[in-house]
Amino acid sequence: MRTLRVRRFWTPLVAVMVVVMLVVMARPAAAEEKSRLDVVQERGKLIVVTLTTVPPFAFNDDKGQLVGFDIDIARLITQALFKDPTKVEFVSVTAEGRWPAIESGRADMGVGGTTTYPDRALRVAFTRPFIDSGISVLVSKKSGIKSVADLNQDKFTIANLNNPQMADRAKRFFPKTKVLTFDTPSAQFLAVRSGRANALQIDTPSADYWASQNKDDMEVLPGLLGASQNNGIFLKPGDFKWWLWLDTAVAEMRSGSWYPQYTEIYQKWFSKNPPPQKFYLEPPR
Amino acid sequence: MSFARWVAIYGPTYLTGLGWTAVTAFGAAVGAIVWGCVLLLLRLAGPRWPARAVDAYVQLFRNTPVLLPIYIVYFGFPLVGLPWPAVICGGLALVLQNGAYVSEILRGGLKAIDRVQFDAARSLGLTPWNTFRRILLPQVLVYSIPALGSQVVLLLKDTSLLSAITVTELTMQAKLLTEQTGAAYEAFIVVALLYLLLVSTTEVMFRAAHRAVRWR
Repeated sequence: MRTLRVRRFWTPLVAVMVVVMLVVMARPAAAEEKSRLDVVQERGKLIVVTLTTVPPFAFNDDKGQLVGFDIDIARLITQALFKDPTKVEFVSVTAEGRWPAIESGRADMGVGGTTTYPDRALRVAFTRPFIDSGISVLVSKKSGIKSVADLNQDKFTIANLNNPQMADRAKRFFPKTKVLTFDTPSAQFLAVRSGRANALQIDTPSADYWASQNKDDMEVLPGLLGASQNNGIFLKPGDFKWWLWLDTAVAEMRSGSWYPQYTEIYQKWFSKNPPPQKFYLEPPR
Repeated sequence: MSFARWVAIYGPTYLTGLGWTAVTAFGAAVGAIVWGCVLLLLRLAGPRWPARAVDAYVQLFRNTPVLLPIYIVYFGFPLVGLPWPAVICGGLALVLQNGAYVSEILRGGLKAIDRVQFDAARSLGLTPWNTFRRILLPQVLVYSIPALGSQVVLLLKDTSLLSAITVTELTMQAKLLTEQTGAAYEAFIVVALLYLLLVSTTEVMFRAAHRAVRWR
C-alpha cells in the first residue's frame, strides 16, 4: 500500500520531466525542414495566427466574424498564393500565444497589430512593415487628463498590455502613474470603461478606433508616446524562401503592383489614403 | 539558450508569482470551505425559501465557467463604487464558485451520517444550531476531507485565471516572461513544474489531515 502511494506521487513528476527533456532535445532537430512556401502550396491553404482583440487590425464584428485591416492583408496574401482569398484558416490566440504558434509550426505566419522590436526579432522573423503604427494614450473624458504631463500623477492609473515595452514607456513618460497589466487590449479597454483605470496605452489605430466608437466618454491624447513604429508579418526565422516571398508581397503592397488593392483595404479601415506609394511620386487623386 | 541557463537567469522572477498563487489559493480555499459550510447550514435550516435560494445559487455557479464571475466581480464592482484590488476581487469570485462546490461535497458527506444521530441529538435536548455545530459539522468535514482536497487542488489551478485581471501570479509571470523573451516553452514549463509542486504539497497536506482524523 505504501509503495503504491509513493509511486502515484512520483508518476506525474517523472512524466513532466520526460516532456521537458523531449522539448529541449527536439528543438535543434527542427532546423532541417523544407520551406513553408512549398508546404503551404502543397496544402492548398494558408494558416495564419492572429489576435481577435485588437480593432481595427483584427477583431470580431457584431456578427462574430473575424475582420480587420490585418485580416484583409492576410486575405490579399492568400489571393496571391491560391487565386482565392478564402483559402485561409485563422488561428486565434492571446498576445503571448503568438510566438509558440509560430515556433511550433502550428501557423505559417502571423498578423494582428504586431509591432516589430529588435528583441522580438531574436525569436521570430519579421517582414518589412505593412503599416506604420505608434503608441497613443486613450483617456476617459471624466478623468480630465489633457496631456501626458497631466497623466503623470499618482492619483491616476494606466492600463498596460503585458509586454515589456509598455512597462518601459510607463516608466519613461509617466513614472508616477499607477500601472495595471492586462493580457488583452479588450481587457485594457474594459478597465477604462469600468473606471479601474483612467487611461490606456495602445497602438494608435486601435486608440483612434475606440475613441471614434465612444465619442462621449473617451478621447486620444495628442501626440505619440515615443517613436513611430512598424507592424509587420511575423514567421519562423531561418526559412529564407518563405520570408523572401512574404517580404516581397509586403513591398509590392506598399510601393509596387499591389498598391491599388492595398489602398482599397487602407481606405476601408482608416477612411484615408495610405502613405504615398513612392516618396517621389504624386499621391493618387 | 539552454533550458538550464534560462532557468538560472529568469528563475528568481517566479518567486513573487509563486507567493501570490500560494497566498490567493490558501485564502480562497479557507473562504470557500467557510462559505460552503454557511450554504450547507442555510440548506438545512428550517424554512423552505433559503434552501431554494441556495439550490439556485449552486446551480448558477456550477453551470458557469469561473472566468465569468472573475470578470464580473473585477470589472463590475467599480461601477457600483467598490474599486477593490484585483486579488480581493479574484479571490472573492473563486470563493463564490468553489463555495458552491464545497456545499455540494459537504451535502454528500452529510448523507453518510445515520439519521439516528439527529433523533439522538434531539432527545438530548440539543438546539438545531448546536446539533449542526457539535454533531454534524465535525463528522461531515472528516468524511469530506478527500473530496475537499481535490476541490482545493482545482481551486489552486483556477487561480491561473486571475492572470486575466492583472494579478501577477504564476501564469501572469509566465505570460510576462514570454512577451519579454519570446521563450514560451521555457516560461510555461517552469510554471508547470511550480504548479506541480504546489499541488503535490496540497495533496500531501490533505492526506496527512485525513490520516490524523481517522479515529474510527
